[in-house]
Amino acid sequence: DQVLHIMLETLQQVQHLQLLCSTLMLDLWKPLLPEDIRAGEDLHIRVPAPLVQEVKDSLDKLMISYRVLIPDVQKLVDQSMPRERSSRRQVSGGYVYTEYHKMEEIYQWMTQIQQNNSELVTQRFLGKTFENRTMYYLQISQPSNKPKKIIWMDCGIHARERISPAFCQWFVKEILQNYKTDPNISRFLQNLDLYVLPVLNIDGYIYSWEEDRLWRKSRSPYENGTCYGTDLNRNFNSSWGSVGVSFDCNSEVFCGLGPESEPETRAVAQFIKSKKSDILCYLTIHSYGQLILTPYGSTNKPPSNNEELMQVAKEAAAALEGKYGTSYRVGSTASILYSNSGSSRDWAHTIGIPLSYTFELRDTGTHGFVLPADQIQPTCEETM
Amino acid sequence: ELPPSQFPASRASAVALGYLCYLRGGPGRGLQLRELRRARRQDIDDVGHKYYLELELEDVLDKARTVSCTAEVLYHLGSKTSAPDVQVTVQGELRSTEEADQEFYNWIRSLEKELVAENIPDSHGNVPPELEPIHLLAWVASGYLIWQNSTENTKFHLAQVKHVKQVKRSDEDLQFDYVVLLHEMVSQEVLPWQVTLLWHPQRGARVSQ
Repeated sequence: DQVLHIMLETLQQVQHLQLLCSTLMLDLWKPLLPEDIRAGEDLHIRVPAPLVQEVKDSLDKLMISYRVLIPDVQKLVDQSMPRERSSRRQVSGGYVYTEYHKMEEIYQWMTQIQQNNSELVTQRFLGKTFENRTMYYLQISQPSNKPKKIIWMDCGIHARERISPAFCQWFVKEILQNYKTDPNISRFLQNLDLYVLPVLNIDGYIYSWEEDRLWRKSRSPYENGTCYGTDLNRNFNSSWGSVGVSFDCNSEVFCGLGPESEPETRAVAQFIKSKKSDILCYLTIHSYGQLILTPYGSTNKPPSNNEELMQVAKEAAAALEGKYGTSYRVGSTASILYSNSGSSRDWAHTIGIPLSYTFELRDTGTHGFVLPADQIQPTCEETM
Repeated sequence: ELPPSQFPASRASAVALGYLCYLRGGPGRGLQLRELRRARRQDIDDVGHKYYLELELEDVLDKARTVSCTAEVLYHLGSKTSAPDVQVTVQGELRSTEEADQEFYNWIRSLEKELVAENIPDSHGNVPPELEPIHLLAWVASGYLIWQNSTENTKFHLAQVKHVKQVKRSDEDLQFDYVVLLHEMVSQEVLPWQVTLLWHPQRGARVSQ
């Protein structure tokens, strides 16, 4: 589309233009109405791309002088989009990390990541969801002859917490982009393997894109298909069903029919159990609240290594705050937030993983679950 | 004395904030909590639990500044039917929104067709700039709901404006009929609520029953 600046000198030219505007239904920018077109006054009209040549030809035939004011309207619109502001579009290998992605795109991303970083990354099968979708985690492991301890991180256990999978993707990108140049990351990978599950509750995540943005649970049907979904973070085998749950399928904190009743829970639990002697740290990423939560949710009794857990968490919160001033509160779920049982974080700790944390990312309620994409970058940067 | 990071104080501060948003919020002003500085609780026999809070707030449209305030939140015993009593004192001045309020008022009054909108913010968290004042008025309406419906076992936030419809009136108030989705943190439920908000640039906002 182009915007033309037209100089009209005679009444006849004015009439021709008025006719042209109404026949071709052109978009008058100045003046606003055809009846206000005057000789001796400037005229600005936006001409749709397919009509540009025809309009210019007509003006030439009528000996009306004009010049092109805006040669490409779309380009100007794109440039002025607020999105380009302070958060620069983070594109790496063609993938935009500062946007939220559908599950299909995340599956493709995992394949690409493995392909582009095959010396470090392996895409591994974890299990299947209720709706039979494959759960993959990414194993980031630098080849070495010494055995390495593992850090596990999962995102997206609750479908509506979209910033969480965005963070897992960002995290993987940051590690892979910087492991050769950043001494901290390189030292990390010399001694540790990273296992990242970008979306745990795949069925729920897809449902939140297609049907209900504020969906939380999985998509397994109950009560003859009249009610759907288990809160996967109430379904683990840690004081299952004791507190902060509901046995009613309609509730957002429905804990399922028994511990590990859901295939997604079983897939994660089986794997972590099989590797538990090597897992140093279990991280599960949620939103919102700006919290680093330690065990437990089901009781106020502190875990055996509470001092160490709190110290590490406080240092993490301080480092996070150092980036953009975002403040995070630190403490056990039972004291900071509410009572709950069956959480993955509690379960990981009870089977012996010493450092076990839940992160609740930005914000504190202003946007809540619907965090705008322009906050992806600062959230992820500070959380790194 | 209560640790500010723990949930009893943070739930009370959400109530205080809701009340303040209702009283002082508007199409040009949205108040949010920057930090809870101090909290105390007093258990009053046969009456209920009273929280004394020192809060630091910021205006979403003016985040460089903060405003301090103190609040008292009294949850009544057996509070099934009555809302908590809240008192808030703001230290210092809130940024004036007179001009923006008048502009918004004039714009709405000039609309030929009654304004209708849904899903604010949208699924991606975006709010079209011209609907931001409508969004902020939803905060005012939600503030009222949060104040009226909170107990020591709940913590509400506005999750999304599902629907809003302007209703033209013969008097000078603007009327907006909202359906808002409130997220309750303890049960994790997202609850729809219908609420009618009346607003006038000089007289402020009130929820119509």
